[in-house]
Amino acid sequence: MSDELDDIQAIFFEECAEGLAAAEAGLSAMDAGDVSAPTIASVFRAVHSIKGGAGAFGHAALTAFSHCFENVLDEVRAGRIAPSPGVTRVMLQAFDVLSDHVAFAQGLAGLPHDAVVLEALDAILAQGGAPDHAAAPAPTPAPTIAPTITPMSAAPTAGGDVDPFGFEPVTVALEPLDPFGFEPIAHDPFDDALAEPAANGPIAWNVRFVPSDAALANGSEPLLIVRELELLEGVVEAVDLDALPPLRDLDPEHSYFGWTIRIPGHVAEEAILDSFDFVAPGSIVEVTPEYAARPAPTGIVAPPVPPAADVAAPAVVAAQVTAAPPPQLEKPAPVRAVEDRPEPARVAEPPQQSIRVELVKLDMLLNLVGELVIRGSILADRLSPKDQERVELPQLSRLTREIQDTVMSLRAQPIRQAFSRVPRMLRDLSAETGKDIRLETTGETTEIDKGVIEKIGDPLTHMIRNAVDHGIESAAVRLAAGKPAEGTIRLSAEQRGARILVRVADDGGGIDRARVFAKAVEKGVVAADAVMTDEEIDQLICAPGFSTADTISNISGRGVGMDVVRSNVEALGGRVEISSTPGKGTTFTMILPLTLAILEGMIVRLAGQRFVLPLANVVETVQPERGQVKPTTTTGEVIELRGNYVPVRRLTRTFGLGDNDTRRPEESLVIIVETETAGHVGLLVDTIDDRREVVIKSLDRNLHPIRGLGGATILGDGSIALILDIEALVGPATQTPNRYVTKGLAA
Amino acid sequence: MSTIDTPGERKIVTFSLGEQTFGIDMASLIEIREWDEPTPLPGVPSFIKGVTNLRGTVVPVVGLAERLGWSPSVIHARSCILVVNIAGKQAGFLVDEVADIVLIKDSDIRPAPDVEIGEPSVIAGLVKTQTRTADGTNGSDSLMVLLLDLDALSLTRQLDIAA
Repeated sequence: MSDELDDIQAIFFEECAEGLAAAEAGLSAMDAGDVSAPTIASVFRAVHSIKGGAGAFGHAALTAFSHCFENVLDEVRAGRIAPSPGVTRVMLQAFDVLSDHVAFAQGLAGLPHDAVVLEALDAILAQGGAPDHAAAPAPTPAPTIAPTITPMSAAPTAGGDVDPFGFEPVTVALEPLDPFGFEPIAHDPFDDALAEPAANGPIAWNVRFVPSDAALANGSEPLLIVRELELLEGVVEAVDLDALPPLRDLDPEHSYFGWTIRIPGHVAEEAILDSFDFVAPGSIVEVTPEYAARPAPTGIVAPPVPPAADVAAPAVVAAQVTAAPPPQLEKPAPVRAVEDRPEPARVAEPPQQSIRVELVKLDMLLNLVGELVIRGSILADRLSPKDQERVELPQLSRLTREIQDTVMSLRAQPIRQAFSRVPRMLRDLSAETGKDIRLETTGETTEIDKGVIEKIGDPLTHMIRNAVDHGIESAAVRLAAGKPAEGTIRLSAEQRGARILVRVADDGGGIDRARVFAKAVEKGVVAADAVMTDEEIDQLICAPGFSTADTISNISGRGVGMDVVRSNVEALGGRVEISSTPGKGTTFTMILPLTLAILEGMIVRLAGQRFVLPLANVVETVQPERGQVKPTTTTGEVIELRGNYVPVRRLTRTFGLGDNDTRRPEESLVIIVETETAGHVGLLVDTIDDRREVVIKSLDRNLHPIRGLGGATILGDGSIALILDIEALVGPATQTPNRYVTKGLAA
Repeated sequence: MSTIDTPGERKIVTFSLGEQTFGIDMASLIEIREWDEPTPLPGVPSFIKGVTNLRGTVVPVVGLAERLGWSPSVIHARSCILVVNIAGKQAGFLVDEVADIVLIKDSDIRPAPDVEIGEPSVIAGLVKTQTRTADGTNGSDSLMVLLLDLDALSLTRQLDIAA
């Protein structure tokens, strides 16, 4: 039972994360000047649902804080507090504290200090929430059940052609994924909604609520919902007892009742819907507006809104109690009375149906499909082309590939998730450095593997920080150079083949190559007489040892944690490209794999056993001539390559494989790989079998990360080949054990 | 595969390893497969023979004999791999021969005396079962089965110790 509760908690925290993301996106939009009603409502809804869940799970501190936050949001939403930049700033702070509270509830962090922010929130409530009766010709809805809120204060912008009610007809069909199959799912709420007559506002709402049979067993308490509706001045008009069995058949765990409740028309439909936030799956909830023969007197000065607008903008919420994340519930949010004028009729788009699936299950599916593909190729190997045609194997193969692609796409998420925290970060950086910076974002809908999104957060942070700190010049310098005082950072994402390119471009001063080179020489990263191209010098800023903390202040070029960017991106099987034009700016490009599940690799043999060498590491392949590989010590060897000496490793020794220690290099191949810790290194292998994409299987799923291995893959014949983790293999063994383990886990 | 558990009773799979007969809980067993040379792994204790492909999942194969501190099993025609689920992780154990599936009563399990096998904790208990004749009827001899505690055999734990 407690396990079950834990599971539900886990879902709650997942929803919290989604809610926080939605709130942050909304707040950022508000901060950027978008104070439209849907935006404000999205923030409110997110905080509200966090509060609700927190209450249900007894997280008192989280509940208390989100309640205060929600109060302010509600006032803003109702138009009683103007969303001024000052208010927005406090709400952004409140958001940070809210995130900390969620972390605390999860046991991930200590109890945050929220006193200052709470005070600020209270101050906003105190000054903005004061009722102003003079400006309130009509009652404004107080669409929440939170008891501490002052109802009935004026919307500052009320008047004009505003519809003070802002009501649209609404029909809610709560027919979620019905686990018991009792309810028909194929019900289109739009049919009902569009059939409703358009009018200015209903005189009452008729709410029909029939909890699912299993509501009580699921731990929900229908009576609480009825009580909540009563708080909204709802009156129970009828109780449906049809389903009630004779007493001897009565199951106390079973829910038999249905209610019809009439709620006055001035209550916002959203407040009614809010009451059903925690309704059990499979319950029937219908909210139907009731209209008077003609519109009730409302004090509207301007002519009534054309009916067309009403028809086009009915808020139809097909709420999936278990499934739809809050942001999707929010999509068809009704237009609120805060607006100066009714929002242009929006075509209500059908709410996207979605279900929550554990990542593990997707990965299992991916595994099985991968296996299917492999079996298919085994079959193809064994059948002659003619026989393949006869059994329609090509068609089958195409189908399985398509299934594989589809399953992969299930793991893909829009990169917006990684981008969403940039505006806020930039705001903070802007305040820190005193530089005015404009952010242009494109391609945020580009989809990329969820695992990649999770891991590019840090690199992205470093790149943005770097662009602000070292790219964009101060306003005075910019003006002197004939550029606008405001700097611009362009953040973009695009898919190119099987790769995703994420770019951070600034219009700053570019890399000062002379100084970077001088610094690199000073740091001993390169020799003083080294001849380097511009590109090579640019790459230096990603060199480890170059960008240590104490050099930041000394270098006017770049170098904040750029080696972190490079190592993180390379750990994902990607790479970083830098291009810079002096005076014009610098562009960093992360070239990322579309998915973590697939790796482009070279199949090589070591002592007869097959291994996969990630192609991202490979620089070139050399067939050494006699004498080209020279011993330096008893075990060490180097290869002479265009006048340079590159160390050569025999992985067979590292792995303790076979006895080819004495094999002559000219009978082998040397693959030159590039590593972060050891530069270029040559690896001695027997042969190269193939070059292909392989599906990465983790070793630690059933075992343990193993040093030097990034995972395993299953080859076309069903056998397993191990994937080499070059960095861990050639890097210094003692210095990077932790990093290595992290990489092993990542694979 | 699912077995309906009667309280107080359970099904075990018995197998031989060297001179001994061992048993593991049927509920932990995923499948029994023929011996197939696994892909060796570098840098792991010698009792891990390598990894094999179980329907798209990479599963380690453990020489149970070595794991218990004995000399390695000699592979022969009846050698097989018991694929089991230990705390959500899958592992294959190389055993000499699978013997039988028997129903035992929990009350028949005797606590393990200090058995001289690796760590004593890997033996969850002892149980006596009847040998069965070819026609399925119970024979007269009773057979002592050592019940393995799979959790104690957990690979990751062992590797943590080794590391």
